Amino acid sequence: MAFSTNYTNVDQAADDLRRRSLAHMAAPLERMIYLGSTRDYNTGLYYHDGLASRFSEMVACQALANCHREAYQQVLQSSIEDLVRQLDSYIQSTNSAPRDFIAAWKNLQPYRVAVPAETDPLAAEFLCSNFKIALSIWEAHQHDRSRQPLDASPPQ
Amino acid sequence: MIQLTFSLLVGFALLVILYFFVRGGKVSAEGSAQQLREARQTLDSLQFSLLPNDLVHRIFAKEDLEYVRRAAPSQVQSLFLSERKDISLAWVRRVRGAILGLMRFHRGHARLYAQLNLSTELLLAFNFVRLLTVCRLLEIALYVRGPYAAPGMVRTVAVAAGKVCTISEKSLVFLKANQIDPLRNDPSRHGASV
Repeated sequence: MAFSTNYTNVDQAADDLRRRSLAHMAAPLERMIYLGSTRDYNTGLYYHDGLASRFSEMVACQALANCHREAYQQVLQSSIEDLVRQLDSYIQSTNSAPRDFIAAWKNLQPYRVAVPAETDPLAAEFLCSNFKIALSIWEAHQHDRSRQPLDASPPQ
Repeated sequence: MIQLTFSLLVGFALLVILYFFVRGGKVSAEGSAQQLREARQTLDSLQFSLLPNDLVHRIFAKEDLEYVRRAAPSQVQSLFLSERKDISLAWVRRVRGAILGLMRFHRGHARLYAQLNLSTELLLAFNFVRLLTVCRLLEIALYVRGPYAAPGMVRTVAVAAGKVCTISEKSLVFLKANQIDPLRNDPSRHGASV
């Protein structure tokens, strides 16, 4: 993806994206998944109607790619504890049943396709490994939480 | 008298050989622009193949181990240690591979430059050997005792790999991108030098 776009425009578009769409997403994980989903997997190009109408398709694509890399770097630098916290917040934001979410993420591993293009393979592998661990910890915590009310109930 | 004449003839012959050797070296030192460009690209890709310091720090961060020990059941702790072991072994193998590549590259392309500094070359050779040895020892330590076995050695490898890259770059300063291809002269690309 090598566009000869105007850097000032790309920066402006990225700022616009941060102020509007990404402002509602507190966790870098959420931003990474969202930005990854704006990419066409067949072409590797990013699309965002609103941003493209304000700037141009090419500028929007470059701005989305930059923000995606930024979010990816932030997730990569997160500790396991922070990643578990981000995962918890992300699961709550999706409104999906925790059991379904865990099953889908363990089987499909969607975080693998949410990695930006041209990233270091070892760094990407490290990120996926961290996700695997964070998911297991989150699942264990969930299991503990679901057992707590039963344990706390008085014996019959 | 015969001995003196013989010695003088041998000395003269050696001088002639040395003259042609030096002259021949100068001719090959010029190198083609294409060769220099390729050499620069190889050096860039080798430097890029080393992970940034903050990511290496993240891989070996003790806080993750402490958190997992505190907050996760034993099977997740085992999963964590096994995953970190795989990643740390992959990292040390990559550093070793990059150093070997840099060494081969250096041997292959240093001949393009006629004014190599002997002390820099010796220092570089010493650092290559030392780093390769430490990498092998670290690999064994990580394999046998796990990812948190030798934090001191991890630091040594990370610092030494960065040093070798810097020395190598200084030694091969003639490959500087601005002398070959101004479009590729972007210092931010060198942020990944362990």
